[in-house]
Amino acid sequence: MLTAAIFVPILAAALLALLPRDRGLGAQPGRLMVLSTVIAAVPLAILAVAWLGFGGTGGFEQVESIDWIPSLGVAYRVGIDGLSLPLAAMTALLFVVAVLYPVDLRGRPAAYFALLLFLEGVSIGLFLALDLFLFFVFWDVSLVAMYFLIAAWGHGDAQRSALKFFLYTFAGSLPLLLAILGLYLATEPRTFDMAEIIRQQPLAGTGLYGLLVFAGFFIGFAIKTPIVPFHTWLPPAHVDAPGPASAILAGVLLKMGTYGFVRILMSMLPDVWAQLALPIAILAAISILYGALVALAQTNLKRLIAYTSVNHMGYVMLGLAAAGAAVTGQEAAQAIALTGATVEMVAHGLITGALFLISGSLLARGGTYEMTAYGGLLDRARLLTGLTALMAFASLGLPGLAGFVAEVQVFTGTLAIWPALAAVALIGIVLTAGVFLRMLGRLFLGALPDKWRSFPDLGRRELAGLGALGFFVILIGVVPSWLLGVIDSFAGPFVGRP
Amino acid sequence: MNPLVLPLVPLAIAAALVLVRRWSRAQAAIAVGGLLVSVALGVDAAVTEPAVRFAWSPSIELVLGVSGFGRVMVVLVPAIAAPIVAYAAATEDKGRTRLLAFLMAFVAAMLLLVVAGDFVSLLVGWELVGATSWALIGHGWRDRGNVDAGTQAFLTTRLGDLGLYAAAGATLAATGGFAFDAIGGAAAPWREIIAGGVILAAAAKSAQVPFSPWLFAAMAGPTPVSALLHSATLVAAGAYLLIRLAPALAAVWWFLPVLALIGAATALGGGVVALANTHAKRVLAASTSAQYGLMFIAVGAGSTAAASAQLVTHAAFKSLLFLSAGVAVHAVATTDLRAMRLGRVLPSVAAIAAVGGLALAGMPPLGGAWSKEAVLSAAAEASAGLAVAVLVASLLTAIYAGRFVLLAFGPGSGQRVVRRPGRVEIASLAALATATVVLSGLWLPGAARFVEDIGGSVLPPGSSWEVVASLAVIVAGGLVVLLLDRRGRLSDALPGALRRAWITDWLGLPLLQRRLVVQPTLALAAALARADDRVIDAGVRATGRVAVVVAGLTALRLDLSIDGAVASIAASAITVAGASRWTDDTIVDGVVEATGRGLGRAGHESRRLQSGLTHQYFVIGAVGVVAIAAILVAGR
Repeated sequence: MLTAAIFVPILAAALLALLPRDRGLGAQPGRLMVLSTVIAAVPLAILAVAWLGFGGTGGFEQVESIDWIPSLGVAYRVGIDGLSLPLAAMTALLFVVAVLYPVDLRGRPAAYFALLLFLEGVSIGLFLALDLFLFFVFWDVSLVAMYFLIAAWGHGDAQRSALKFFLYTFAGSLPLLLAILGLYLATEPRTFDMAEIIRQQPLAGTGLYGLLVFAGFFIGFAIKTPIVPFHTWLPPAHVDAPGPASAILAGVLLKMGTYGFVRILMSMLPDVWAQLALPIAILAAISILYGALVALAQTNLKRLIAYTSVNHMGYVMLGLAAAGAAVTGQEAAQAIALTGATVEMVAHGLITGALFLISGSLLARGGTYEMTAYGGLLDRARLLTGLTALMAFASLGLPGLAGFVAEVQVFTGTLAIWPALAAVALIGIVLTAGVFLRMLGRLFLGALPDKWRSFPDLGRRELAGLGALGFFVILIGVVPSWLLGVIDSFAGPFVGRP
Repeated sequence: MNPLVLPLVPLAIAAALVLVRRWSRAQAAIAVGGLLVSVALGVDAAVTEPAVRFAWSPSIELVLGVSGFGRVMVVLVPAIAAPIVAYAAATEDKGRTRLLAFLMAFVAAMLLLVVAGDFVSLLVGWELVGATSWALIGHGWRDRGNVDAGTQAFLTTRLGDLGLYAAAGATLAATGGFAFDAIGGAAAPWREIIAGGVILAAAAKSAQVPFSPWLFAAMAGPTPVSALLHSATLVAAGAYLLIRLAPALAAVWWFLPVLALIGAATALGGGVVALANTHAKRVLAASTSAQYGLMFIAVGAGSTAAASAQLVTHAAFKSLLFLSAGVAVHAVATTDLRAMRLGRVLPSVAAIAAVGGLALAGMPPLGGAWSKEAVLSAAAEASAGLAVAVLVASLLTAIYAGRFVLLAFGPGSGQRVVRRPGRVEIASLAALATATVVLSGLWLPGAARFVEDIGGSVLPPGSSWEVVASLAVIVAGGLVVLLLDRRGRLSDALPGALRRAWITDWLGLPLLQRRLVVQPTLALAAALARADDRVIDAGVRATGRVAVVVAGLTALRLDLSIDGAVASIAASAITVAGASRWTDDTIVDGVVEATGRGLGRAGHESRRLQSGLTHQYFVIGAVGVVAIAAILVAGR
């Protein structure tokens, strides 16, 4: 079943790619969009079924495995637990919306939808992979697909931004590859099986060697997440990417980094993580404040959202550092911090994904991301204003919406471990409130400039997509127990909560 | 009854109001009727004291319940809101549905805050109150000034919310949960963090020094919004939290003294600011800070009961005064007190407003006098200095209350009235005046017992000198007002040396906030953004150079060249690996035998191992690249 969630979109992508561009289905963007949306929804349906059958046993469930290169201990292994299931489900949902969302197709609809579907299968595969080798394959292939999405359907200096994105993140995947090899070579018997490596803890007490492997993983994941100062690829990539690609980049690809931190570093090298937890937490606090402050100074909507991503990924890292810290007696708080960090991954995917889609809609109507060019749009576009306000408040952590569920847990959990550091990082939530309230004011409130007298409101597809994301943002915010229960089945045992 | 019903009723009404937006009469009826239902439910909850716990997650339990002073608040909030909402429905035409719906949501959030029994539920209500106030203050959103005022209010109170996050985290660390009833047993340093966080949150929400100026900005909202947020919601949340939690935190030695100090500073400072202003709503706003300062003093002196009595009486007379001010402002189309004196043209409104003014001044037998007396007794029992502060604050109160009523509704020489209040407005005012008068019942024997039960502490027995002093203060205040009026100096009440712009503008606090907080933050943000851009630009330039090199290459070639990089870095990894402990030939041999099959190359074993892996990876990678290339070729 899970395998189908990965390969149905990938196979469909291959078929779409073979369509001729100028005749038949390949020349009918509308029908292609409907078809692709249906295909993109298949993994969502499969994961929904998997969610219903999820037992919350604390280990990997619904595992499917096939030997691949047995002599090397490589196998195709996929499965779910309380960490990967919510992320995979969020990914599937966001892809359905991204495929559905209107975008300038540049006359190549089949290739566009093929790439999105291919990227969907790869992304879900990464979260479900239980084999380091498979994980790395999905990791690298996702970069390639995103590179083409930005380069071919982006705007502005798209080629250069895409290349910068590719080179930078690819440079990150090289140390990742080395680290995977280093970890692999320490296993006995040799294996890439994640569950087996977690059981073996092959690098426990290996000193410098363990530290080097840790550094390789850390750099790879830190670039992808990104953590300050590895974030400079993010703003240009976002600004020049088409809206749906931006949504996927922020919503899904960044989560690959944070997911890697938990799934690999914290699980397979917990001792090193515990030793370095405080420095990591300090880096996270810097990311929180730096991201929020730089966002505060932006006048370009997309850059603003990009920098709030840096800020939000700081929340995630702060929670992860607290969860892996070497303290005893605060397991309840650590479980809450880890749960909060995981919810933040899901919430940020939905919220920031929606905000990037919205900025695409704004660009399509107004031709610019410069916020000073707008104002008073509430007068003309009530749905657009309402949904943007919903997502902005969710992003600044308003209770009743998904972001709060994450942030309250991250901050209260961290405060139990490092009170002073958490107190400093808390300033980030006032700054983000300032960022988003100013953004709402500049775009939608105040006097309406004459040139926007005929500013169209959201279309049906936009409303459907954003409405679906908004539904889950509110659902998680109001009744989070269905999500928190699943995540807790992973987080509780992970921190050794009695 | 589930306590969650209390906030859900006004929330449901807010939704209903949007549905019937075309029928304005139905809207008013539904809104006011719904609030009356809320009052009835509140009375029922106050009697039955329902409580419920439910799991938010396997590790977080939420606690909701109606107990202690919450029993009064669940009735007070909708009871004060009902006449205010009726007034709003009658006076506001622009964005009427939005205004009424947000007022309802505001009440709902406040009721959630009241029934919260743990820090997570409290934070939910607390921040929703703040967010709805943002929407209400910025109601006239076409004017950017209103929007900015809402933002200032939200950001200032959110700064205080950080205290609640900290208190929540400390409670979790100390007790393993978030419930209020466990914080009394929290150990150091967690109890100190809780105490500090609660002070920060309460002071910001209740507009105490140094946060007071946001309440000036909040004036940008329509009059009913001011009336509601100054009386039973938002500002009330800070004092309510203290009444609820102070007994458990009193063991922190600095907790109560700091509260008393903040309260005294605000009560005195707010009194001066109220005297300095001639803007009708600003006088009342400064007065609100000052009156909440008295509640902080009472809590700081150890009497949550006195503070709770003051909160209730203040809610009634302050909402009354705000709505009267709204009528006066509408009547003369200006907020300038010097242009009013509407006593002759609006005698009934003037009489009603006088009731509010007398209650504010602390004139017996009104309830406001009783609660002020209770605050004074509590302060006197704590320290003489605190008692003096309360007496001076009371003198200032008597003067600015008299000044306000006289300037707004005193006998004047036939002002031209632009708009007269309608029946609904008069009825709303009358309802609140009735509430103010009914609260005189606090003087009845047995009332003190009731207040002690509700407020959760004993009331110190008042001594006779306090009664004399209070009366003397009121008489003195009245004389000062009359004297100033006779000399024609009522609008310039302060002595010349104190007539400075910075004193009028909340003692220069807004300027300090701008200079010390807002501007440095924005400057730092701009500087960091510039630095960040420079780094990005450098990266883009470097990428540009690389791009020149690879520009001609196809996607496949690009990938191959990077594959080369993979190989070269893999080679350097061997050196690293060789330097580490990992040189065991037998292990290497085993792996190499397994993987190296088919590789004809000779060389160092470990090198072959790495090459073999890289090779495998390239096979997989190539499949992906070919797939991509196929997509692109087909797409062109």
